[in-house]
Amino acid sequence: MKEDDSLSKKILVVDDEKNIRLLLKEELQDEGYDVIMAENGAAALEMIQKEVPDLVTLDIKMPGEDGLSILRKIREIEYDLPVIICSAYSVYKTDFSAVAADHYVTKSSDFSELKNKIQEILSYKS
Amino acid sequence: MLDSDLRSISPEWIELLLAPVLMKDFGFVTPYYCRHKYDGTITNMIAYPLTWVLYGRRVRQPIGGDFGFSLAFVKSLLEKDVWETDIARFGIDIWMTTVAICEKFKICQSFLGAKIHDDKDPGKDLSPMFVQVVGTIFSLMEIYHENWLRVKGSRPTAIFGFESEFAPNPIDVDQGNMIRKFQEGLLRYQHIWEKVLEKENFRKIQEVAKMEVSHFELPVELWVKSLYDFSIAYKNRNGGFSSAEIIEALVPIYYAKTASFVNRTQSLDTSQAEEAIRKQCGVFESLKPYLVEAWTSQG
Repeated sequence: MKEDDSLSKKILVVDDEKNIRLLLKEELQDEGYDVIMAENGAAALEMIQKEVPDLVTLDIKMPGEDGLSILRKIREIEYDLPVIICSAYSVYKTDFSAVAADHYVTKSSDFSELKNKIQEILSYKS
Repeated sequence: MLDSDLRSISPEWIELLLAPVLMKDFGFVTPYYCRHKYDGTITNMIAYPLTWVLYGRRVRQPIGGDFGFSLAFVKSLLEKDVWETDIARFGIDIWMTTVAICEKFKICQSFLGAKIHDDKDPGKDLSPMFVQVVGTIFSLMEIYHENWLRVKGSRPTAIFGFESEFAPNPIDVDQGNMIRKFQEGLLRYQHIWEKVLEKENFRKIQEVAKMEVSHFELPVELWVKSLYDFSIAYKNRNGGFSSAEIIEALVPIYYAKTASFVNRTQSLDTSQAEEAIRKQCGVFESLKPYLVEAWTSQG
């Protein structure tokens, strides 16, 4: 991606696994994004209101509140905030709650689908 | 607003349709149901994908028949001069959904469980509904062309309610009947198809008409391009045909698409069929430049 396109775009990574958060942060920073992180739903919702990210990547399987429930709350407070579900499980793709996400990516070592989708969604937004 | 032929309604539906308006400040609430894969074929083949691609909003049941809305939205609808037209008949649902999106009312979907109503074989009972719904969609494309020509990509729509296990009633579909109607349509409407469809699309449609029932297939790309061609013809009244003649001539191709969908999804369960419908919407989106180009180049 061109550096100008991602200038000042802020992405919130929500994942309970620290290593995944850090890996995603590194990958997305390499693309020129600002990256902030949250390890659970409560922290994510607080950050959304305080930091106003441009896009959220959201894990589903997390201790306490799961990602689909957090997604519902995000839609209540920030109706149009783009959210990409980033889960190790493809099975939730057909869960009706997942349709409120902009896109669903199954976690893998190849981040190209996620990066392409982020770029595409943010380009529509701008 | 509720469909009059509902058999699965419960008191919770009222709360589910109104709570987002009263508690969350939404302007328009559309239903989200568990339906059999062959229930709602006009929705699945036309209304859902066109709402997705034209206005960039993924609303799963844009013509669902059961809606909640705010007072401000009702007032906005009442100001419009449509109440003596087809829009106020079967077109009312897609009109409300389109107005809500284009006029920036906040929209969400509410999960209502299973929709059980007077199921209809899509090959037997849907022609009047088809003509009014599709006519309304095409008319709205003219009214809101400045909106949809600008739209790129698509956004999901918030969803409320809680999913439970529902088994929708199975629907028997007579594919052979639909394919026969398509083949008869070629004889009856050939003179219209020839003028409405791009030359290559018309040639391919003629090829499809020769296929046997067992492996009948109208490719998704051909369906999407044909539908786009018809929307252009509706706007330009190609060949001097009336808008009603153009929509009626589309019905057999819609039957072909529905029969083809049934052939492809017979062994799929509800969620797999849903995924197939979503993928089809992706094809609509990828072919949007074809529509935009044709719409803008033909005045």
